[in-house]
Amino acid sequence: MPEFSVFYSAFATALSWESITVILGGVLLGYIVGVIPGLNRAVAIAIAIPLTFYMSPYAAISFLIGLSKGTAAGSAVSAILLNTPGESSSAATCLDGYPMARDGRPRTALKIGLLASVIGDLLATLLLIAVAIPFASVALKFGPYELAAILIFALVFIAGMAGGSFLKGMAAGGLGIVLGTVGMDPETGAMRLTFGYMELMEGVPILPLVIGTLALSEMFVQLDEYRRNKGQSAINLTENQNDDLKWSEFKTTLPTIFKGTAIGAFVGALPGLGPSVGSFMSYGAAKRSAKNPDTFGKGDPRGIAASESADNAVIPASYIPLFGLGIPGSVSAALLVGAFMIHGITVGPLMLREQPEMLFSLFSGMIVASLLMLAIGWYGLRIFAKITNIPSHIVIPIVIFLCLAGIQVQGYGTFGLLVVFGFSILGFFLKKFDYSFVTFLVAFIVTPMLELNLRQSIILSGSDVGILLDRPIAAFFVVLTIILLVRFAWTGIQQRKKSLPNAD
Amino acid sequence: MKLQSLLKTALITGALAVSSSVLADNFPSKPLSMVIGWGAGGSTDIQGRVLANVMSEHLGQPVNVINRPGAGGAVALQQLVNSRDQGHTFVFGTSMSVTFGPLATPTNFDVDSFTYVAGVTLGQSAIVTGADKPYSNWAEFLEYAKANPGTSYASQLPFDRLLIDYIAKKEGLDLRIVPTSGGAGMAPLILSGDVDFAYSGGTHSGYAKTGEMPVLASLADDRLVAFPDAPTLRELGYEIDPGEIRVVMVPKNTPENQVERLAEVLKLATQDPRFIEITEERILMPVVYMDGDEVHENLSNQVEGFKAIIEELGGLSS
Repeated sequence: MPEFSVFYSAFATALSWESITVILGGVLLGYIVGVIPGLNRAVAIAIAIPLTFYMSPYAAISFLIGLSKGTAAGSAVSAILLNTPGESSSAATCLDGYPMARDGRPRTALKIGLLASVIGDLLATLLLIAVAIPFASVALKFGPYELAAILIFALVFIAGMAGGSFLKGMAAGGLGIVLGTVGMDPETGAMRLTFGYMELMEGVPILPLVIGTLALSEMFVQLDEYRRNKGQSAINLTENQNDDLKWSEFKTTLPTIFKGTAIGAFVGALPGLGPSVGSFMSYGAAKRSAKNPDTFGKGDPRGIAASESADNAVIPASYIPLFGLGIPGSVSAALLVGAFMIHGITVGPLMLREQPEMLFSLFSGMIVASLLMLAIGWYGLRIFAKITNIPSHIVIPIVIFLCLAGIQVQGYGTFGLLVVFGFSILGFFLKKFDYSFVTFLVAFIVTPMLELNLRQSIILSGSDVGILLDRPIAAFFVVLTIILLVRFAWTGIQQRKKSLPNAD
Repeated sequence: MKLQSLLKTALITGALAVSSSVLADNFPSKPLSMVIGWGAGGSTDIQGRVLANVMSEHLGQPVNVINRPGAGGAVALQQLVNSRDQGHTFVFGTSMSVTFGPLATPTNFDVDSFTYVAGVTLGQSAIVTGADKPYSNWAEFLEYAKANPGTSYASQLPFDRLLIDYIAKKEGLDLRIVPTSGGAGMAPLILSGDVDFAYSGGTHSGYAKTGEMPVLASLADDRLVAFPDAPTLRELGYEIDPGEIRVVMVPKNTPENQVERLAEVLKLATQDPRFIEITEERILMPVVYMDGDEVHENLSNQVEGFKAIIEELGGLSS
């Protein structure tokens, strides 16, 4: 366990002016991205990574985490005022947020959304800190057998949970694994799938891959939708005296907020589920347990509170497997791994041993980000309400420019542009045909680690499966993986049986 | 006639001198890039970043550190060979990448492809083991490994794999060799006892005080500073001098005066307390100043030695 002085200096780092400025910038940018319907979190992080090249590793990661958190809070604004969620995870917020705003109480709705977001985020951040450290100290003792087993388990779990179809999830994961093996073989030094390109020797460069599949392809999707849907105008904030949040009203939503936080944190900690699942689960739970469920969908403040608290709680909770095991469970966590890699840090339990100060500074920075989110949301209410009206034909070209500029900043040159365009086309079709994105990205990111640990396990054990009897943790995860596979396959067959008669 | 040609030569040399002195005065006219062929956070990187800071103070231009990890430093060197950046881009790395690298993998360079500006540090790599093993020195280890076929070894580089293949052949050992990625990948395997012994580039030095990673043999030309009890390979009867030198390299086409300027700055850096501290206290390697020609001669000899081993083994296993 690290000494007390580490905690102290970590907080000192997080509270320095430089750090607060960077986090403020991140949260503010995230908030704006969250508000604008055409932009989502993954796009924002992907194009922001190049912006962080010239920052210190701590500043860069704090900036990206702030950005990630900001989007979750900002997305409520467009859900409430526009009836279009800024992030898909705020779709549940529309259900009660928009009716409430239409009834002349947009300000109240926004404030409930904000407070629920901040409380959900803050509590989940504290949970992350409390859970990740003991988790990491256990994970530090894991050898190649345990790591290989856990990584395979996580991939299967994500493939099964993230998308609609398990087969499609496995296909997306398989594609990620193939791309993850490109480059030099760690044992023999043989070149794999490099096709003579020196640039591919170290593997497919991560930045062009994520900018292509996540950001640029998303803009193509947006363009496609823009042709059909020219957008609508938002509800304006009025000077209505009755339109403000009163303590008595907020008090009634508090139990819902705490419950939503708990649901969001649980969903977030499991890899692959993501914030949309969290917010809808929380909304459903709030509605079911309410004495008067009829008011839901007609502007009940508890509906907003349930959805937003869970939505925001998912983000910090999804960093638990990241910092505890080094496994990213969501797209934004996978992008953070990429950012860590670019800044030369291997994220995971080893951070606790080798860079405890960095780790605790990041945690402190996350708390700072929660508080800044409250301030930004509270005082920026009016401005953000205006931003919802920014049309797509302004947003899309700017993002495309930033995508391509980001590649050039990193110095990938023409090769990088080719990779970006190639992957943007791949990403476009993955989205169109509903292949799981998280599975693809996480598989790509963890493959080098998985491959090395698996090969070590095979060599060390002399290819003897019996080694698992001496390794109960690894054996446990292998069994769990098999159970999962059978279960997912079973439900897949059931679904197919059900859907076939309908097709006829 | 004679006078005229003399005059001409004088003029030309004069012009050249002026132009080169202009160049020298201008150098460096823009920010420099120190390319490191290893990941950030490793010992080469930690040291390189301090060296870059010290150099930038003397050169009056920023020296940016760029990590280009891959293929045991070869990725960075492949790019350096083709660099036309006239010394503004240079590689700080380990000599193994130029000596052994080209023998192991097809590269577009060899030991003679670069100008060596200077050597600044002597490597301290070693064969290490874990704390709770039934052996504590090389002789005991050999006995153990002979009695236990399948003793496991963690390899990081094609070079240490060759070394172990050579030793295993000589001693008749049956080993399981696992690949790992760098010192950060090796350390958990040794500390947990999952692997019996391993190559370590410098990671072991950090465990010198706790004794969690004892050294079986020094892979430097001399004994290690932090582990004076561990014998060198030559002392153990193996005819290998694997001693590594950390060097600054530039492309062959770099103007001589610019190389000299860099060498001057490196000499100052080896006297700088910050560079000495990071090297000798943190990564625990001795700081030296070895001029470029000496480095080149030393490395050329090493290459001959490696070639002989490869021949004896009948080629590289892969």
